[in-house]
Amino acid sequence: MKDWILACLLFCVSVQAETFHEDAQYCLVCHGSNAQGNEAISAPNLAILPDWYLSSQLQAFQSGWRGHQTKDAYSKEMMAVAQSMSPEDIKRAIGFITGFGVSKTPETLTGDEKHGKTLYQTCAACHGAAAEGNQAMGAPPLAGQYSWYLLRQLQAYRSGQRGAAENDSRGAMMKQIAATLQQDQDLNDLVAYINTLDIQKTNNPKTDIKK
Amino acid sequence: MTNPDHKQINNKQLSRREALLLLGKVGGSAAMLQAAGLFGLFAAPVQAQPELVKLKPLTAGRKTVLILGAGISGLVAAYELGKAGYQCKILEASHRAGGRNLTIRHGDFIDELGNPQFCNFDKDPDLYFNAGPARIPAHHTAILHYCREFAVEMQMFCNYNKNCYTQDDNAFGGKPVRIREYEADTRGFFSELMAKSIQAEAKLDAPFDDIDRQKLIEFCKAYGDLSSDFTYEGSERAGYQSGGILSPGVLKKPRAFADLLQSNFWAGAMHFGEVSDQAAALMTPVGGMDKIVDAFLSRLAGKVQLKAQVQKVQLLPQGVEVSYWLDGQLQTEQADYCLNCIPAQLMAGIENNFPADYVGVMRQLKRGKLSKIALQAKERFWEKEQIYSGISWTNQDITQIWYPSHGLFKTKGILLGAYSWDPAISDRYSAMTNQERIAAAITQGSKLHPDYGKYIDQGNSVCWQRMNHMLGCGAVWSEELLKTSFATIQAPVGGHYMVGDQVSYHPGWQEGAVRSAWYAMESIQQQEQQKQRQVAV
Repeated sequence: MKDWILACLLFCVSVQAETFHEDAQYCLVCHGSNAQGNEAISAPNLAILPDWYLSSQLQAFQSGWRGHQTKDAYSKEMMAVAQSMSPEDIKRAIGFITGFGVSKTPETLTGDEKHGKTLYQTCAACHGAAAEGNQAMGAPPLAGQYSWYLLRQLQAYRSGQRGAAENDSRGAMMKQIAATLQQDQDLNDLVAYINTLDIQKTNNPKTDIKK
Repeated sequence: MTNPDHKQINNKQLSRREALLLLGKVGGSAAMLQAAGLFGLFAAPVQAQPELVKLKPLTAGRKTVLILGAGISGLVAAYELGKAGYQCKILEASHRAGGRNLTIRHGDFIDELGNPQFCNFDKDPDLYFNAGPARIPAHHTAILHYCREFAVEMQMFCNYNKNCYTQDDNAFGGKPVRIREYEADTRGFFSELMAKSIQAEAKLDAPFDDIDRQKLIEFCKAYGDLSSDFTYEGSERAGYQSGGILSPGVLKKPRAFADLLQSNFWAGAMHFGEVSDQAAALMTPVGGMDKIVDAFLSRLAGKVQLKAQVQKVQLLPQGVEVSYWLDGQLQTEQADYCLNCIPAQLMAGIENNFPADYVGVMRQLKRGKLSKIALQAKERFWEKEQIYSGISWTNQDITQIWYPSHGLFKTKGILLGAYSWDPAISDRYSAMTNQERIAAAITQGSKLHPDYGKYIDQGNSVCWQRMNHMLGCGAVWSEELLKTSFATIQAPVGGHYMVGDQVSYHPGWQEGAVRSAWYAMESIQQQEQQKQRQVAV
């Protein structure tokens, strides 16, 4: 009898756990009330990202491509959250996130933008001349993203903490390219240049529904 | 270290002060306080009358207050402002009230992002763990004021128990040592060294006369339990090796001082109980810290809206407008005042029209990282080891093991199997699943209690930096930021106030939360009185 109650209880618990993400607002706790990111939490801007990229990254976190081999606590955090999400949760979260209007993040990074522009020519092949992103290449938009986030990702690619997973071919490409940027100042200049670019309307075919 | 009032010490006494500082540095502040007492340096501390918030009832008009967050500061604000006639409403993002005042019991949902758990303890009023605040010192008069007013049943809470262990992988072959033995021996050797060097010094500085010197030597003798020739030969303080009741007590052989120094215990944990907030006697509500939350909630019926996640805070020419998600819909409300208890690091990500310097401070407050792991033991094995309550310390990641201060002689009990406030340790725990955390806690705890794992049924864990809607424990202020920006964040912007323990010099304590709320409410009252005066003019 006792076992039966316990089994029943465990079942209830697991059902509850599976439907835990009843809404998608939990994304906003870290990523800001308009999915615009939050520097205090080190959470990047999601509002600038198109649905296909959000989807690919949630899968990357779920599978551990991102977060598994890294030392940084932020990626591990996102990996844990992604792994607690069901396919339905992910669909709902992406629908919710892409509903927000985009706004440019305030930037503080300074660098040699001219030098950064020269360096960016390599990036432009995939990410687009205006850093608007390119789905065919699997390259996300970069314009409008926080400089500290871009910098951290470039460093992660360069050190091999990102892009080293076996099936992550696009990450592997980024890892190779980041490895060519030897000097920290190069990363800095590059990100400083990206910051000068305006968010392109083609990023996301969505209307501003700022509430 | 306790700082004697420098003005009271004239030049003539400087060498006494130097001696005291030396003592304080080596022996911890307790040694210093005792020595200071012998020197007559300190007057008995005068207990200031605890001041309480006094809000005058509103006399004219209807005033509304939106309170963001149902932690201790929000609950205090709603209760006090409500009594004074303000119309209050609390918006709480989580599924529960209380904030970090969180007691975990059978079946409770632990809302950790990425690692949601349900509490698997047996259903029993004694089987709980306080994941947030767990102890209240007597000088936290503001939170105790509410315990008294609401008749929350209290019990004593033991933070320091000489029968608990200290374990250090670098000392005594990693074997645990009773705190009473470690302390008796270190104090003994330390005192012997002091007494003999004071004796050997033919003539101390002139103002440090022979009577002083004799007193200091006597102090060493008392402090270390030295023999008549000022030698440490072991002490009954360490507990007898054998006998003591029906036969003569046989002292334990002292451990070598060099071995004692190998352990890191003397550098920190040994003096933990000297910290003013941690020193005996401490208190805690019977049945869990959240009995305080329950007492507030029973007085705030209909005023707390759960699962209301704030989306936007807008300062208006008069008052404040708050938008929030409720059941998937955006709601908007206006109020004359807003007491905002949302953790600053989260508020920085919520849309607002705050002045740049104000929100700039919020961006700089760091997430406090702190983890606790609780274990349900099927048998109170520690009682067989003569441990009833208190804390054992180790230099492993688990850092501490707490034995419950309640439920003595019952069958089961909840141990706190790990409690660390080192951010690096907390990062390691946060990267684990709950099961991995429990396994790690059991492995490390086994160095203090052989067969530890045999006794553990199950466990739950809380990593505060991952807890939904909080993402951190006490706000981390740098000293520099406190100096430059505390006043900015404490001051109101129109009708908007940031409150909570984060807006106090005592983050991570309920006392900070209550006092911050009191501060804001008194400021609101001043604003109201000013308005009435303007109307009168």
